Amino acid sequence: MTDTKNHSDGDRSGSLEGRRFLPASPSELVEAIELAFDYRGDVTIELTSGERLEGYVFNRNTGGPAPAVELFPTVDPGVRHILYSDIRSIAFTGEDTATGRSWEAWVAKKDSERRAEIERIAADAKARGHL
Amino acid sequence: MAVPVSQMLTVTKYVLMQRLKGVARYPLVLMLEPLFRCNLACAGCGKIQYPDHVLDKRLTPEQCWAAAEECGAPIVSIPGGEPLIHPEIAKIVEGLVAQQRYVYLCTNAILLERKLDEYKPSKFLTFSIHMDGLRDEHDLAVCRDGVYDVAVKAIKAALKRGHRVTTNTTLFDDANPERVRKFFDEMMALGVEGMMISPGYSYQKAPDQQHFLKRARTRELFTRILSKPKAGWQFNQSPLFLDFLMGRREYHCTPWGNPTYNVFGWQKPCYLLQEGYAKTFRELMETTAWDEYGSTKNEKCADCMVHCGYEASAVQDTFGTVSGFSRTVKLTLLPTSR
Ligand code: SF4
Ligand code: SF4
Repeated sequence: MTDTKNHSDGDRSGSLEGRRFLPASPSELVEAIELAFDYRGDVTIELTSGERLEGYVFNRNTGGPAPAVELFPTVDPGVRHILYSDIRSIAFTGEDTATGRSWEAWVAKKDSERRAEIERIAADAKARGHL
Repeated sequence: MAVPVSQMLTVTKYVLMQRLKGVARYPLVLMLEPLFRCNLACAGCGKIQYPDHVLDKRLTPEQCWAAAEECGAPIVSIPGGEPLIHPEIAKIVEGLVAQQRYVYLCTNAILLERKLDEYKPSKFLTFSIHMDGLRDEHDLAVCRDGVYDVAVKAIKAALKRGHRVTTNTTLFDDANPERVRKFFDEMMALGVEGMMISPGYSYQKAPDQQHFLKRARTRELFTRILSKPKAGWQFNQSPLFLDFLMGRREYHCTPWGNPTYNVFGWQKPCYLLQEGYAKTFRELMETTAWDEYGSTKNEKCADCMVHCGYEASAVQDTFGTVSGFSRTVKLTLLPTSR
């Protein structure tokens, strides 16, 4: 249904999962935010106030006088707007949902592994009432 | 004829009106993604790669209707995720049909037969069934055995009830042209109105010098598939887009032709690339750096020949050039002359 079969590179070693960035300059901060925006998993943002926010960074506005990140928090349904200037660190704490999910990686799997994966996904969809 | 005359006239009138009004950038198809969750997990599908709390988010019917009004495109395509999982999808479709938009509800068809009662047949509603080839190829593509048979059964059931049904197929460079031609025969034999095809998108984050070879391979593949088309084949897309896939016409991408709206907002610049989101359609149109996209302008676009970027270019060619118009008329009246 989508045209993005080869979108992820499937390379586990290149994933940012588990890393934490403590930017030392505005350009490093911008770089870390871009990585968080591209990341297919949740991150934890620590603010200069000491607050920690865990969620999915789905947008960022770099232009204008007050650049900000938009995040869907893991635990509440709203959107959080976070000014770049309020960010102290960004940690890639959530599972990288794109890693290892390429078409090539799937084809390269052993038949038994593929079967197990298919069963696991089907069970999950059934439990949600989607099958 | 693959598309009803009323739909063709609506689109023609819409395009001519935009041109008369001097609108430089106008959408043809709204890609409306009401949720990202799916009941399949095709390998590498970029649309389902989110954490659970994002996959659980859904657009409300009101958000969907407002997006369609705001954008104004005469056609709304609803991919996903799997839209039939959305508990209010029938209501969403009903509202879009009430707005007299031609709706293509894209589904992997696993739930379709069970849900058919919720939909009234209408010239405005088409079920667009994800079929990536014959049984072996399709089941491999969706990473699950048996899905092809379920989909074929659902197609038959939908057709029996008088629904419009098309197929949509994504092909990658490992496709076997002879098998794809056989697949077209089988789909047409089922009685579908038409087929939509597109090459897969193979954007890799790192640039590599093979990009042009990949484009050349796509053209070669589609030439082998589409040359000497059979009389019964009907394609639910611009004949000039098929020419483009075969390398017979050159186009620049028209990303604003198929804008995407989803739980994040209006996606910049297109269905495939995520460069950020706008809150409103107007903001999308005014703040996206459109000129920075397209195969010759952006390494992320180098290989792309996907319908969401180039179908609108083909439509613009039809209405904007004499050669485009006459070629479209010829191929519409005589599709086997290709
Ligand atoms: S059916 Fe479509 S949305 Fe679902 S996993 Fe496959 S490609 Fe993705
Ligand atoms: S060329 Fe493809 S990826 Fe690039 S903007 Fe156009 S549709 Fe999107």
